[in-house]
Amino acid sequence: MHELSMAQAIVDTVLDAAQKNEAQDILEVTIEIGQLTMLNPEQLKFLLDVLIEGTLLENSEILIEEIPVEIECRSCGFKGEANTDGSDHYLTIVICPECGERKVEVTKGRECNVKNIRIEKVDEDA
Amino acid sequence: MHKIADVEIQHDIMVANRKLARKNQRIMDQNGVFAVDVLGAIGSGKTSLIETLIDHLDHKVGVIAGDVISKYDAGRFESHHVPVVGLNTGKECHLDAHLVKHALEDLPLENIDLLFIENVGNLICPVDFDLGSHLRMVVISVSEGDDTVEKHPLIFQDADLVVINKLDIADAVGASVEKMVNDVQKINPDVEVITSSLKTGKGLDEILAAIESYMK
Repeated sequence: MHELSMAQAIVDTVLDAAQKNEAQDILEVTIEIGQLTMLNPEQLKFLLDVLIEGTLLENSEILIEEIPVEIECRSCGFKGEANTDGSDHYLTIVICPECGERKVEVTKGRECNVKNIRIEKVDEDA
Repeated sequence: MHKIADVEIQHDIMVANRKLARKNQRIMDQNGVFAVDVLGAIGSGKTSLIETLIDHLDHKVGVIAGDVISKYDAGRFESHHVPVVGLNTGKECHLDAHLVKHALEDLPLENIDLLFIENVGNLICPVDFDLGSHLRMVVISVSEGDDTVEKHPLIFQDADLVVINKLDIADAVGASVEKMVNDVQKINPDVEVITSSLKTGKGLDEILAAIESYMK
């Protein structure tokens, strides 16, 4: 369970960016989580809600977007989305959906990316 | 007046860890240190295996001993007269590149050519955190059950070397070693799988040879 440290890193990243951009409030945060990370988005969301109390993030909307797993097959050259169907969720990922070989490279799906924030700031032009 | 602004951040925490891991590897390369990340379940024999390897390998060994709490493992390694840094993660279930970076600062790297980094006993969380090691060795044992590989496939996909330990008690715990080996090869056809028993010494020569061959 490393959602807590990741949640803390996300909060730190967002607050740092908000400060640099002189935000008075943070309205929205978008985070991308790869399906292949060992992070459970629901647990992450719960911990974020705890950590943002008393910060600029307190009333912001936190959006978590899941990034599907993409692979590149070293046997047939297939590039694209991995097969994540079925209960053996992870096992099917390592099988190329095109040729059935197992020599695949995971190219996407391991992200924990703070994508962007929507902030409110003083309009100096107004 | 206030205005609303969208700010692009694009800060991937995983990428930040990977960058730090590459930095760690550069530091080790500059000092001629080959690092083995030893991952595996709790009680699979990681510490005992490293202790045995220290005694059998003709190298200047150093150890980073990761644990959630306690310096117990670090103490075991110290008794083999090698430089050791004990890393307590406190609440975390894995080591990360940042923790390892600090441990590297505390080790006499000029006197080490083979560094074992014993990760926290866990088959899930360490998967996400590259440490900058040159070799990822996963150690599991039959006592975790012969379905442990299929339940934790990702750690095996990233592994360079897999050790299935405690063969001597496979019958007693009703585990099929063959199934465990097959499951690893299903997930990662390129990985070398060694079955071992640190009690009887089986497989030790193969593990030693595998590490030596990676170091060349």
